[in-house]
Amino acid sequence: MPKIRSSRTKRAPEGFDEIEATLLEFQQKMKDAENDPHEGKRKVEALWPIFRLHHQRSRYVYELFYKREAISKELYEYLLKQGYADGNLIAKWKKSGYEKVCCLRCIQPKDTNFGTTCVCRVPRDKLEEGKVIECIHCGCRGCSSGSGAGVAGSKGAVAAAGGGSSSKA
Amino acid sequence: MAQIKADPNKVSWEESEFPILCETCLGDNPYLRMTKQSQAKECKVCTRPFTVFRWCPGVGMRFKKTEICQTCSKVKNVCQTCLLDLEFGLPVQVRDTALGLEDGAPRSDVNKEYFAQNMDAHFQNSEDGLGSGGFGKAESAGREMLKKLQRTEPYYKRNRQHICSFFVKGNCTRGAECPYRHEMPLEGDLKHQNIKDRYYGTNDPVARKILSGPRAGGAGRSGPPDDKTVTSLFVTGVTEAIAEPDLKGFFYAFGETKSIVVVHKSKCAFINFTTRAGAELAFEKAGGGVNIQGVPLRVSWARSRPVGARSEQRTEAAPSPAAVMDSLQAGPPPPPGSASDFAYPSQDPTYQGSTSKHR
Repeated sequence: MPKIRSSRTKRAPEGFDEIEATLLEFQQKMKDAENDPHEGKRKVEALWPIFRLHHQRSRYVYELFYKREAISKELYEYLLKQGYADGNLIAKWKKSGYEKVCCLRCIQPKDTNFGTTCVCRVPRDKLEEGKVIECIHCGCRGCSSGSGAGVAGSKGAVAAAGGGSSSKA
Repeated sequence: MAQIKADPNKVSWEESEFPILCETCLGDNPYLRMTKQSQAKECKVCTRPFTVFRWCPGVGMRFKKTEICQTCSKVKNVCQTCLLDLEFGLPVQVRDTALGLEDGAPRSDVNKEYFAQNMDAHFQNSEDGLGSGGFGKAESAGREMLKKLQRTEPYYKRNRQHICSFFVKGNCTRGAECPYRHEMPLEGDLKHQNIKDRYYGTNDPVARKILSGPRAGGAGRSGPPDDKTVTSLFVTGVTEAIAEPDLKGFFYAFGETKSIVVVHKSKCAFINFTTRAGAELAFEKAGGGVNIQGVPLRVSWARSRPVGARSEQRTEAAPSPAAVMDSLQAGPPPPPGSASDFAYPSQDPTYQGSTSKHR
């Protein structure tokens, strides 16, 4: 898998240097999450930070290109190819109703007993009040577009570093 | 159910199309989604593999699944999940002592399997399914008693989540999203229940409690007054015809009554005396049962918990609490022209439980 630089690999397109810092930060966090010990966590809970970071990283790239239009198409495609963002997940975000999908597992009906989606896809007002849900796949607390939760809310309290640092482009 | 299985080992394994369940276990929603898994678990009684059915009995309930196989449940005529009698909803021990049924089912290993196997063959052939030796009219006296002991409404508390064991220890890190109940577990006898005991009808604490309770013809929970210094009597069988003044007039003779609370909804009343002596005298005279306005009433000691203020409100006329709660929970009135006039009841989303009412 790419992300390894040698003399044979092509240079990254322009604009990469500005976002490189953030991407490296994500990479570092991902490594930390992967190496975290599992003590004190449920079996499924240990995987949640991975899904969260994956979502956040892809979200960063998605917003840079589609919302803020801060990077070129060339760079965007380079990022997707190099594995800095998940193209399949981004493809879902482009669809109406799925703007805030947490991960691809939660919309996969083949993963459930009755062929439905995950409970985190249920809009907040259809869910019994006061009931906090953390879905087992990724720990999401509600990712339907009408929930009003937004990325930061649905994926827990810690602020995304990517959202904090602004793109210098 | 008569599938020929190729593998001779599997011939004795059970296959079924639908579980044998009581209404309480199934829950209040008439629409159910149930999963079926063949040979998913072993029966808790006969340890043979059987088909496990799993469903959700309602909002906020835990998912229930069948615990014993169909053969075992047919032998005793009980529900596959809660192991209570299908007809009365009572524990096996209660039903058996009331009807005088003897238990033929062996308990030790090989005998048990042999018995189960035979029963299996018996049920497959006869297919009437409901227990050995018919429940004939000969035991009607027992049946009368069982009818009195029955619950009148389904007891959905049985379907609640299990207690969170981390909470009991004091360190549940899941907090708000923890799906288990954050309550302390029961104390005492009822804590030690065993599925095999409950099934065979031996040594069942719940059955003991029911059989020695007030309605079972036992002497009642308390012959002499118990529990510190309770000065209240608990009266049941109070119909709509009986009102506070009737009770007051009757019980006044024994001693000054501090207050009388009547709860018609649950057909009971509390008579609070000012003195313990008055209460004792009243219990002595009336404890065996009284007759007011021609209605037979049962009298016993009240539990030490004070009578709730809520029940006192009930007797105080004015808006009924149910109506008040409804108007509070209805939230803002719907916008004009919304779909609040339903041509059919099925157009109402709250009709049969698919959406919760307070939304």
